Amino acid sequence: MGKYSVIGKRVPRIDAKEKVMGQAKYAADYSLADMLWCKVARAPFAHAKILNIDTSKAERLPGVKAVITGKDFNGWTWGFMATTRDEPPLAVDKVRYLHEGVAAVAAIDEDIAEEACELIKVDYEELPGVFDPEEAMKPGAPVIHAYRPNNVSVEYHWNFGDVEKAFAESYLIREDRFETGRVVTGFLEPPASLAYYDPSGYITVWPAKQSPYFHYRHLAGCFRLPLSKIRVIQPYIGGGFGGTKNDSVAGDLCTVMLSKKTGKPVKFIYTMQEVLTTCRRRHNMTIYNKMGMTKDGILTAVESRVIGHGGAYTAIGPLTMFLTGYGTPVPYKLPNYKYDCWRVFTNNPVSAAMRGHGFTHTRFACDAQMGMMAEELGIDPVEIKMRNAIDNPKPGEVYKAVTGFKVKTCGIKEALKAVTEDTIWADRDKMPRQEGPVSYGVGLSGTAYHGGARQLGHQSCAATIRICEDGTVNLITGATDCGQGSDTVLAMIAAEELGVRYEDISIKRVDTAYTPVDPGSYGSRVTLLAGQATQFAARDAKKQLLEAGAKAWKVKPDDIEIRNAVVSLKTNPEKQMSFEKLTKIACYEGAGAVILGRGHSDYGIDEPLDFDHGTGEGGINFSFTAQTVRLGVDMETGKIDVHDFIIAHDAGVPLHPVSVESQNEGGAIQGLGQAIYECFVMEKGKTHNSTLLDYKMPRSTDVPDIKVIDIITNDPDGPFGAKEASEGSHVSTPPAVIDALHSATGVWFKELPVTPEKIVKALKEQGKWMK
Amino acid sequence: MKEIMLNVNGNEHTLQVKPWATLLDVIREDIGLTGAKEGCGEGECGACTVIMDGVAVNACLILAVEANGKHITTIEGLADGEKLHPIQQAFVDIGGLQCGFCTPGMILSAKILLDKNQDPTDEEIRKGLEGNFCRCTGYTKIIQSIKAAAQMLKEGR
Amino acid sequence: MGIFYRRLPRFDYVVPKTLDEVLKALNKHKGAYRLLAGGTDLIPQLKKREIKEPEYVIDLKGISGLDTISYDGNGLKIGPLATITSIAQSPAVQEHYPILAQAALSMASPQVRNRGTFAGNICNAVPSADSIPSLITLSASVKIRSARKERIVPLEQFFIGPRITALKANEMVVEITVPQQRETSRGVYLKLSPRHSMDLAIVGVAVTGTCENGICKDIRIALGAVAPTPVRAPTAEAVLQGRQITSALVDEAARNAVTQCSPIDDHRASREYRCDMIYVLTRRALNQILLS
Ligand SMILES: Cc1cc2nc3c(=O)[nH]c(=O)nc-3n(C[C@H](O)[C@H](O)[C@H](O)COP(=O)(O)OP(=O)(O)OC[C@H]3O[C@@H](n4cnc5c(N)ncnc54)[C@H](O)[C@@H]3O)c2cc1C
Ligand code: FES
Ligand code: FES
Repeated sequence: MGKYSVIGKRVPRIDAKEKVMGQAKYAADYSLADMLWCKVARAPFAHAKILNIDTSKAERLPGVKAVITGKDFNGWTWGFMATTRDEPPLAVDKVRYLHEGVAAVAAIDEDIAEEACELIKVDYEELPGVFDPEEAMKPGAPVIHAYRPNNVSVEYHWNFGDVEKAFAESYLIREDRFETGRVVTGFLEPPASLAYYDPSGYITVWPAKQSPYFHYRHLAGCFRLPLSKIRVIQPYIGGGFGGTKNDSVAGDLCTVMLSKKTGKPVKFIYTMQEVLTTCRRRHNMTIYNKMGMTKDGILTAVESRVIGHGGAYTAIGPLTMFLTGYGTPVPYKLPNYKYDCWRVFTNNPVSAAMRGHGFTHTRFACDAQMGMMAEELGIDPVEIKMRNAIDNPKPGEVYKAVTGFKVKTCGIKEALKAVTEDTIWADRDKMPRQEGPVSYGVGLSGTAYHGGARQLGHQSCAATIRICEDGTVNLITGATDCGQGSDTVLAMIAAEELGVRYEDISIKRVDTAYTPVDPGSYGSRVTLLAGQATQFAARDAKKQLLEAGAKAWKVKPDDIEIRNAVVSLKTNPEKQMSFEKLTKIACYEGAGAVILGRGHSDYGIDEPLDFDHGTGEGGINFSFTAQTVRLGVDMETGKIDVHDFIIAHDAGVPLHPVSVESQNEGGAIQGLGQAIYECFVMEKGKTHNSTLLDYKMPRSTDVPDIKVIDIITNDPDGPFGAKEASEGSHVSTPPAVIDALHSATGVWFKELPVTPEKIVKALKEQGKWMK
Repeated sequence: MKEIMLNVNGNEHTLQVKPWATLLDVIREDIGLTGAKEGCGEGECGACTVIMDGVAVNACLILAVEANGKHITTIEGLADGEKLHPIQQAFVDIGGLQCGFCTPGMILSAKILLDKNQDPTDEEIRKGLEGNFCRCTGYTKIIQSIKAAAQMLKEGR
Repeated sequence: MGIFYRRLPRFDYVVPKTLDEVLKALNKHKGAYRLLAGGTDLIPQLKKREIKEPEYVIDLKGISGLDTISYDGNGLKIGPLATITSIAQSPAVQEHYPILAQAALSMASPQVRNRGTFAGNICNAVPSADSIPSLITLSASVKIRSARKERIVPLEQFFIGPRITALKANEMVVEITVPQQRETSRGVYLKLSPRHSMDLAIVGVAVTGTCENGICKDIRIALGAVAPTPVRAPTAEAVLQGRQITSALVDEAARNAVTQCSPIDDHRASREYRCDMIYVLTRRALNQILLS
């Protein structure tokens, strides 16, 4: 990548120094003088009518300044679409999941706030609950929302090509039931916020949000204030991964309401147990998947019937169910496709988005099923993937999926080749298969994910570049780095475009009073869309600088080049000045010139998503990932040791290779959690494992050695050729692990996570245990 | 309220604390050093790791009154002014962090590990980080950072 | 009301300088106190309001000399404040009771081991406590003291139910005593958990024994997380005691061990899986001690 000065370099993260010094401030680190503490009181039932709430005792406790209940929000509710705004900040008439908030307290310290919650008396009438989605769909099941009497929160029925004909003509058809686990994003920083409702009618909050502008709109709606009076100031964010931190939580809205009531700043911090019990989770899904193939293993059709476990409210569920169907036609050519899905309400905590949104469920099912069919057909697992894989379109051409979306670059074949040429796969037969009770297996997957998500609703995304007169640069965007490294990448893009050094760029965090609006961190959109906005803003600023330089040197702007903060004449490179000098010329020239560049992402929404029919472009491009896994299974205990991950990922062009690797590594380990460790154990709406000891996310001793291979496809739509690099390996890991487990044990596991206990059970059923 | 004395990063603090306040609460709220984080509050994540009298501990599991008279190092006490400690520098150079919430605890655990073992293997590093949870990085670059730090420390950088 | 507490309940904190003061305080405050050793069990339990909120927390750490680990020809004495780390690192433990070092290192994390104690682990008395099975196979006992008297209870008899011990309200553990083992005695602790660290035992199996010329001279098997308390498996031991050891006999003993437990179905594992794992791990442990 010699043509770039900054892009592609392993520069240190722009926020690294603050973070290693402990100076980076997160939401819980903020406080104000005279601040009160908020605590949310929660219901002890999963489904119950609220008959009466008596807060008088709590109000009388010394130190308590205010107590609120659901009624204080005057019927305001929120949700993803205008028709599905079914969630109140605190339950009003009834509670729909265990530990839903029913009241909240503000007190002079948190001890007193907690004590006051104990004094709130709520009379409930317990209602029969329903906890299994397929039960909830049956006639006569308890109804959770009156507006959805059949408990179906969302349903779509898509049909592309002629599935029936294709199955009729298929040589082999398989039907399997797959299930993905009840899992959670697992960020380390619990939600927190410090809020101040200025009595003159302004709100200022410091919340832990990865999409601060969603929260900004929620606050404006909830408190009936114009957006211009809502100020969300973004602290550092301790991990996001979708769902909870894309949204508002009860504590967020209660702190503002309590601040309004008391005239004082109010702060809340959730506990980890509160997160693991009450916050958003990933939908767990049951996938009835039917796949057809020719004798040669060529895909003829897929029919997926998917039941999404929605929990108590809709949240972002309509999009989840869309994306779950949307990803099926990549990375393999699929001529006929039918998708029927139902998202179902139950009295469980709310399901929402998480990294690998939607795709992860169906890619797991389809990739595993393809492996099973390869086995039945006697076709090599690499060969079957290669035969079906989408070819990389020639420049200027596109691959059009059966559902209509377009793929302009596709590195899946190259990625499959890269991982299968690596020794882990290539030499798998030379490695021991069995050592004592341990049986080794190697597995393969090939998957895709979309990047640059463009969805209904607001899409605006812009950047401003302010050139300081000493040659340094302030980059201002509405984008949020919640850990993924996007601030670093955006600064690199700005530096590359302007021709300055990376160190000269400083990037500001979101402050809705000053930064331009942006949708936030989800759908792998920041590098692509905010990246493009940054690119345009830099070009705009540069244009102004070049004009000033041209005037000073009496040449045309086009004659001037800026690289590494040195300005020179293209025709006479000896003629130079420093970038600082140029900025001084530009800024001091004339009366009060200020160099401000602006730009916005202009991808727009060319083909809007049609949730009901499955058409439209969900993002700007697709990443592709192939992965191999080597692991060992203790055939007596079922315990798994994962040794190696080889991940070949097509991120178009890795703009910041360190972040691309780190995202691949982190995404894969989160995927490993979902494959073999993590799952909420639920009973009648109660979460039995709500601590980090019992909700088993991978620790340092559980993770394999990981090698990341970059596949370069240079996408025409991403800035500098980039595609997404955060979700691909998260999606590719579960099917690769499943394939490796099959290779080790001979068993195809169809339900995630595959715990030691499930392995032993399967081995026993097949008479393979302790033989 | 009980009166206690804490030496934090070389500074002595005399404080009036509630008997049930944790060391983490007092460091963060009374002393105002917010580098140590609360992830779980129950000893499971290590975000609150501080060094107390030479060993790594979970500040969320210790009462402030128990720490009376102790010497405590938090992440803020590691750098020498603006000059980073070699472990901090290695995390910057290698990219051993993403969101950074686990980072203060990770670095302090790494310090204890490297104080005891100048040349740890990957396995020993993984063992040494048993108490520190990270959701973002998959640990890979953290382990590499600690290896690089070991090298820097050996070379006296 | 569902409340997720971030703060501890209110209590008073006392830190006596002598054991006598502690014992007097225990008498005076009857059930209204909690002893504090490392706090790694107590603090989370208080935070979650899992146990009755005490009026007093009595910190033992003001008393000097309670953290010692001493070894002489008669055995090992572990003070109630000896940390898990110090036990794992003690040269005497490593040389004479390596099974204890192994059990210690299987627990929690470095940070927790730096604070937590074996005495706390024992007194907290959960079925999955990792120090207990190994100590039982070493025939350890606890020295218990009240203001009035001192008694010694074999560890095997110390546990009454989950989180219930033989300790009376005015008593505390002042020492863990581990007798001298035979020169040729060997021990192993096998802990099974889904993850590789920072995890609780689904099943824990400790075996200590001696095999001379193929004959089992002496064998003790103890199991964790498979009954309301950690248990010994005497009938399984009887299968082996004094017999010529073969794989078949080891297998029989391992199968027998399963009959000695009464595991529950819970969110960590099913009863069936736990039973299967007792068999697997007991067999492995016995193989290591008696056959390899
Ligand atoms: C994150 C985490 C992970 C853990 N992992 C494990 C694990 O893998 N395996 C495992 O077994 N445990 C584990 N534990 C539990 C705990 O760390 C151990 O049980 C530890 O040994 C407790 O010792 P302590 O000194 O901290 O006990 P404390 O919390 O101080 O005391 C525990 C109980 O014993 C009582 N007590 C303490 N000393 C005495 C005494 N001398 N006489 C009478 N009563 C007394 C206390 O009043 C209290 O009720 C874990 C804990 C945490 C927080
Ligand atoms: S906050 Fe202390 S260990 Fe998690
Ligand atoms: S960097 Fe986010 S938890 Fe480690």
